Amino acid sequence: MKNLLLLLLLLAGCSTAFAQSPRFTIRGSIADTNKAVLPGATVMLLTPKDSALVNFGRTNDKGAFEFRNVKRAPYILKVSYVGFLPLQKEVDPGDGDVTDLGTLEIKPIQKELLEVVVKTARAPLSIRGDTIEYNASSFKVPAGSTVEELLKRLPGVQVDQDGNIKAQGEDVKKVTVDGKTFFGTDPKLATKNLPAEAIDKIQIFNDKTEAAKTTGIDDGKREKAVNLALKESHKRGGFGKVTAGAGTKDRFQLRGNYNRFNTKEQMSVLGFGNNINQTGLSWDDYQDFRGSQSFNWEDQGDFGFYSGGMYFFGGDDGMGVPLTGGYSSNRGFSRNYAGGANYNYDTKKTKLSSNYFYNQTGQTLSSTSNKQTFLPEGTFVTISGNSQGSFTRNHRGSARYEQQLDSLNTLVLIGNLRANSGNNAQFSNQNFYRAADTSQTNLDNRNNFNGLQLATTAIFRHKFLKKGRNFAASVAFNLNDSDGTAKQRSTNTFFTDSTGAGPTVVRINQDVTNSSLRTELKSSLHYIEPLTKTMFWETFYNFSLRNDKVDRDVFDLTDQGAVRNRNLSRYYTNDYTYNRVGTVLRYSDKGFNISGGLAGVWYKLAGRFASDQSATTFTNVSRQYFTVAPNFSGNYRLKNKSMGLYYNVNIQQPQTSQLQPGVVDNSNPRFIQEGNPGLLPSLTHNLNGSFSSFNPGNFVNYYLSLNYGYNINQIVYNQTIDENLITTSRPENISGGTRVGSYLNFGFPLKKTKATLNLGSSLNFNKNPIYINTVLNDTRSDNYNFRVNLDLTLFDKFTLYPYFNWGITDTRYSINSSQNQKIYNHNYGGAMNIQFPGGIFFNGQMNYQIYKLKNERFPFTQKLPILNLAVYKQFLKDNKAEVRLTAYDVFNKNRGITQQAYQNFVQKEEVQTLAQYFMLSVSYNVRGLKSQMRQNNGW
Amino acid sequence: MKRILLLILLLSAFPTIAQKLEGVVTYDRTQDYVKIMSRMSFLSLDQKERMKATNKNYSSRPTQMVLYFNEDQSLYTNADEYWRSEDGRWSYRNSDYTIRRDFKQETKSDVIEMLGKTYIIEDSLPTPKWKILNQLKDIAGHICMKAETEDPVKEQKVVAWFAQDIPVSAGPEQYYGLPGLILELDLNDGDVVVTATKIELRDVAKELTANKKIKGKKIKTSDYDKIVKDHIQSSMKAQENPYWSIRY
Repeated sequence: MKNLLLLLLLLAGCSTAFAQSPRFTIRGSIADTNKAVLPGATVMLLTPKDSALVNFGRTNDKGAFEFRNVKRAPYILKVSYVGFLPLQKEVDPGDGDVTDLGTLEIKPIQKELLEVVVKTARAPLSIRGDTIEYNASSFKVPAGSTVEELLKRLPGVQVDQDGNIKAQGEDVKKVTVDGKTFFGTDPKLATKNLPAEAIDKIQIFNDKTEAAKTTGIDDGKREKAVNLALKESHKRGGFGKVTAGAGTKDRFQLRGNYNRFNTKEQMSVLGFGNNINQTGLSWDDYQDFRGSQSFNWEDQGDFGFYSGGMYFFGGDDGMGVPLTGGYSSNRGFSRNYAGGANYNYDTKKTKLSSNYFYNQTGQTLSSTSNKQTFLPEGTFVTISGNSQGSFTRNHRGSARYEQQLDSLNTLVLIGNLRANSGNNAQFSNQNFYRAADTSQTNLDNRNNFNGLQLATTAIFRHKFLKKGRNFAASVAFNLNDSDGTAKQRSTNTFFTDSTGAGPTVVRINQDVTNSSLRTELKSSLHYIEPLTKTMFWETFYNFSLRNDKVDRDVFDLTDQGAVRNRNLSRYYTNDYTYNRVGTVLRYSDKGFNISGGLAGVWYKLAGRFASDQSATTFTNVSRQYFTVAPNFSGNYRLKNKSMGLYYNVNIQQPQTSQLQPGVVDNSNPRFIQEGNPGLLPSLTHNLNGSFSSFNPGNFVNYYLSLNYGYNINQIVYNQTIDENLITTSRPENISGGTRVGSYLNFGFPLKKTKATLNLGSSLNFNKNPIYINTVLNDTRSDNYNFRVNLDLTLFDKFTLYPYFNWGITDTRYSINSSQNQKIYNHNYGGAMNIQFPGGIFFNGQMNYQIYKLKNERFPFTQKLPILNLAVYKQFLKDNKAEVRLTAYDVFNKNRGITQQAYQNFVQKEEVQTLAQYFMLSVSYNVRGLKSQMRQNNGW
Repeated sequence: MKRILLLILLLSAFPTIAQKLEGVVTYDRTQDYVKIMSRMSFLSLDQKERMKATNKNYSSRPTQMVLYFNEDQSLYTNADEYWRSEDGRWSYRNSDYTIRRDFKQETKSDVIEMLGKTYIIEDSLPTPKWKILNQLKDIAGHICMKAETEDPVKEQKVVAWFAQDIPVSAGPEQYYGLPGLILELDLNDGDVVVTATKIELRDVAKELTANKKIKGKKIKTSDYDKIVKDHIQSSMKAQENPYWSIRY
């Protein structure tokens, strides 16, 4: 090709003898307006059609240039020289061998203009033929100024007292906004009324006269015109979506949200109501609601080891907008309503977000359960039936304010408030069997509660001028105030007739009032010092002062009226002081990221309790605790592989209710929960290793992780079960529990982009010690899980995602090996999507669960096929609307069955819940709906 | 072809301009993942807008790149073999990316790591078809003129700003061939922006001739284009962002 061109070139050179050669030469010279020659100017030859660059060169020391033997065609000659306006000149090929353009003069760029361009680095200055375009942000005007102020600052533009505009000495006859005339023809209307901050660009150009435009005859006259291009931020947008559905068995769902936004602000409202057990928002709805403030990563004020692993007092659980991923709960039946509004304001320096959210849930639950409890001396069976009705409501308000004080300092203020209230009524019938020894309890409990929670945090971050040196400080105040009343009624009949006087009946008829107030003041400091480019030294300090005040009054309702029960009533206060100092050394280079550190934790509890706050003598409790917690994290990243090793010590404080002296809860007279003021924090040593590999060339990936945990002072609920089969559980510290686990995943394409196979396994081996009637029982539970997943997207209109899961849990009890058991839990199923002609889509989901319990006494097998189907059609422009028919649990088999094997009992519970129903729903989304043919693969 | 014309031009018409021009440019390369994801045809408008709204307050940190140039040659590569987070908590190896150009010999020798492999592309040097536009902008103290072209393989709109006062053909990424040094490159209206932050005129003969041995599969430009094109096509079909595993 190159040779051919050379040949052509030579031929072109030889052919000058002919009348008109296909090649010619362009020459000329460049000078400024004072006729001084300009050496080194860039001269470009462009095609007139699309400004394509054909050739370029530079002028010599005489300011001359020459393009030899260029193809005979019209060109645009473009000259550019620093400090001068680019010049464009049309070149007519003519007939001669040489076209001499003579001396071309280029004009200097106005000095002010050049400075504007040079100083405001990011602002391009456009010179399009006659049009000069200015970037409005290049010209500083006071806040609140009109466009007129802005125009006054443009080089070459004058605005007189009356607001008349002159550009390059000529009157401006027309001002347009985004190319459109702004309220009539008076140019001043726009310039005097529009705010300067709304303007992105100002374009000044020569326009045809109005007369020429209306007649269509170009009279050659031009008049100055100004166009104002508006900023994106002053373009507004809004979107919303709504779904409404009605089904068999009175099932319904309603959901809708609406948003308005511009680049700075976002306002959204959202609401839903349903009786299909959806208690919270889906991720999509949550993100639409919270917008830019959906996720804030740096709001944690409890600074510590980066890899986490340290539990600190408090936590804002349940303080945020309820987010359940849009899933339906599989327990009972609930009717849910919620709604809220959110406002965000974001600029580079200030970010503000506030929202209010209300939700309520009314739930009915009825369940039956069968439980076997093992004691050192035998077992007993509990069969119970339960029915429960509850109602809860929450008002939540939250605000977050982030201000970048300057380039080095940032302040974040966060406040969350929740007011909740509710009630609960429970009826239960419990039957206990041990050989001939039987008893029955019927209870009817009702309670009401009110609560108020407040969580506030202030975080200040400072970056030092030295790169990598950082300081942060935080202060937080949390409050949790809750009050409740309860009516506890029960009849306990013990049929064992040892005295011959017939069954013994014990009735409980109590009223309980509970009030608890927890306040907490926290503060943390954090400092990072860069030692070298790759070594960092971190120090942190955490301090917390927490006060619990709990008053529980229990009254026995007797024939003489309410009598205070001194054994069950309790008033106590606990003061906790928590201090932690830690230091970490980090190294990060060449793919190695290693950090190691130590923290000293000092914890003090000072409590006092009595049966009543008016008591004269209080019992004092005092505990102190000091420990050193090491922390290590290391990972190494190679080309397509990475590996990591992590070690940390997790310290978990006992909860308030666990520390309460005496009886905490006797609402179930057969299962009494006590507290333990002597509890120490639990400590877990965690060791984690992982290895992963992903080949982006062939998509083969594997991931392996191993983890190990060892518990010291684990808080377990030891149980004493008396001869009447009344269980008393009390939290106590115990050491020696272990956890060993592994996780493996291997994925590879069977056929690239069409079929992917994933194989996985997880193996877990746990040892949990617990005292049952003062005898130590070790429960060992070995869990084996294997998975096979297939992604089959062979055709665009048909996708299939089958899966096969096998699970085995082998549980062994040291005090009663005859109760050892194996639970088999297999799940086979898949999802299928089909696109039919006419925009009709089908989605099917099947899960077939096989459950098998193998033990000596209660062998048990159960098979549950759950099938959900949906057919939907999208219509209107951009698929904005959708009609959907859903069949939920086609075979009417959903029973909410759970099976659990714990330290000393096996329980099977069956909860009535949502089963077969059909629903027809309609959705409308301004931004269009998407047909889900593929499973989201985490793009 | 154009080179030859230029050469003839320079040799014959202007023998006096022989000032030696060489140096090193440091660029900040910023990739806007949200904008790139917004181009994925498999995402719905709803998904794209949600992603934009959620990520509004986040911006990606630039990666530093360097370009060594003289009038005849250029070498563009990562400023640091490793990427490091500002707080020092993370570092990882940057994918190999070394773009070597010889304008005189009209050859290229590129080392590009992508899709889990390292490719060495040695071939002749095709010049992008530039259009010259009428806009001026200052970048790192140099007045630059706007030029435009497009990448036919990745189907990207490419805007380059070249310096009026540094008459060399070199540029960042795989772009070159303008009357001045390219100081800013904008792919698809801001999806990726490569901006010069520092320009240092000094002797760079050592850096330009340094030859670090990197093993890789030797291919031609046409093979490279085919690999990229196939990958983009198959990724889009599998509803995955192709640019997680190739350079944008």
